[in-house]
Amino acid sequence: MHELSICQSMLEIVEKTMAEHPDATLERIFLDIGRGSTVESTLLSEAFEVITSGGPYEKVELVINDIPIAGRCRSCERDFTYEEFALGCPSCGSTDIEIHSGLELDIKHLEIDEG
Amino acid sequence: MSKVDIEKKILSANDRVAIENRQTFAEAGLLVFNIISSPGSGKTTLLEATLDRLAAEMKILVIEGDVSTERDMDRVRAHGADGIQINTGGGCHLSAKMISGVLGGLALEAADIVFIENVGNLICPSTYDLGEDIRMVLLSTAEGDDKPMKYPSIFHEAELAIITKIDLLPYLEFDIEKVGTEIRVLNPECEILELSALKGEGMDTWIEWIRKRLEMKRAASSAAGE
Repeated sequence: MHELSICQSMLEIVEKTMAEHPDATLERIFLDIGRGSTVESTLLSEAFEVITSGGPYEKVELVINDIPIAGRCRSCERDFTYEEFALGCPSCGSTDIEIHSGLELDIKHLEIDEG
Repeated sequence: MSKVDIEKKILSANDRVAIENRQTFAEAGLLVFNIISSPGSGKTTLLEATLDRLAAEMKILVIEGDVSTERDMDRVRAHGADGIQINTGGGCHLSAKMISGVLGGLALEAADIVFIENVGNLICPSTYDLGEDIRMVLLSTAEGDDKPMKYPSIFHEAELAIITKIDLLPYLEFDIEKVGTEIRVLNPECEILELSALKGEGMDTWIEWIRKRLEMKRAASSAAGE
């Protein structure tokens, strides 16, 4: 359960960014979270609620873009998408695969109201 | 409503400190391991057996990560290591900042190798770069052969996987070939070693692996220093 500390790291970036917009109100935070990132989106949302409760970001919406694991098979050269990590290429079964997304743990942008 | 672009890794602050740690380790000519596994898979026992074989020829530092107690530090000290215990007080992983916080108290210049024994947990530690050279995962035969696919991230990330407690194989239904296949599917470049730290089987190969990697690191450091 490291979602609390992930959430704190995320909020540090948010606070630094918001310091550059002192008169604005933060409305939404947009994240990319890959299925293979070890961070569980539901737990992260719960952690966000706990941490921001009673504070200035209590009403802020956390928008999580849940990214499946995608890759390419080096044998049959087909692209594939997994909901979770899986064994080999879903088309030909080859284990010679490369994963190119699904490991994201990124903060993309904020939506702010400049009043 | 306006949009403010950030486009940053959430753990970018951790990654920055990890880069600084890596630089500090490199300047001291150290080879650094980050050892990750579930509790009870034999991290400390492997360290004890490793120290027994290497402490006479090189200086080994250990950074122990645990929720509480100094028990692991006491164990490795008894086998010739110097080091420091970090108690995370409930935290499920070590972070780069926790490591940088203790580096000042360690005689890095005089050492050859640092083993960082992470908090026993197969999930959270895999997300945090500490500045190590080698991220390694241990899986003991007693945990069962289904673990790589159940906890894929760490096996996807690790450079080395060690199957421990192979002396128990006769008593367990543990398909060691299946484990090897699944690890290689998750991570084709992952090296896999099998050993029993308690009985000694496979330890020579591990010790040679360490010696070889230390040589490679030193060669790379001196090439970079020229």
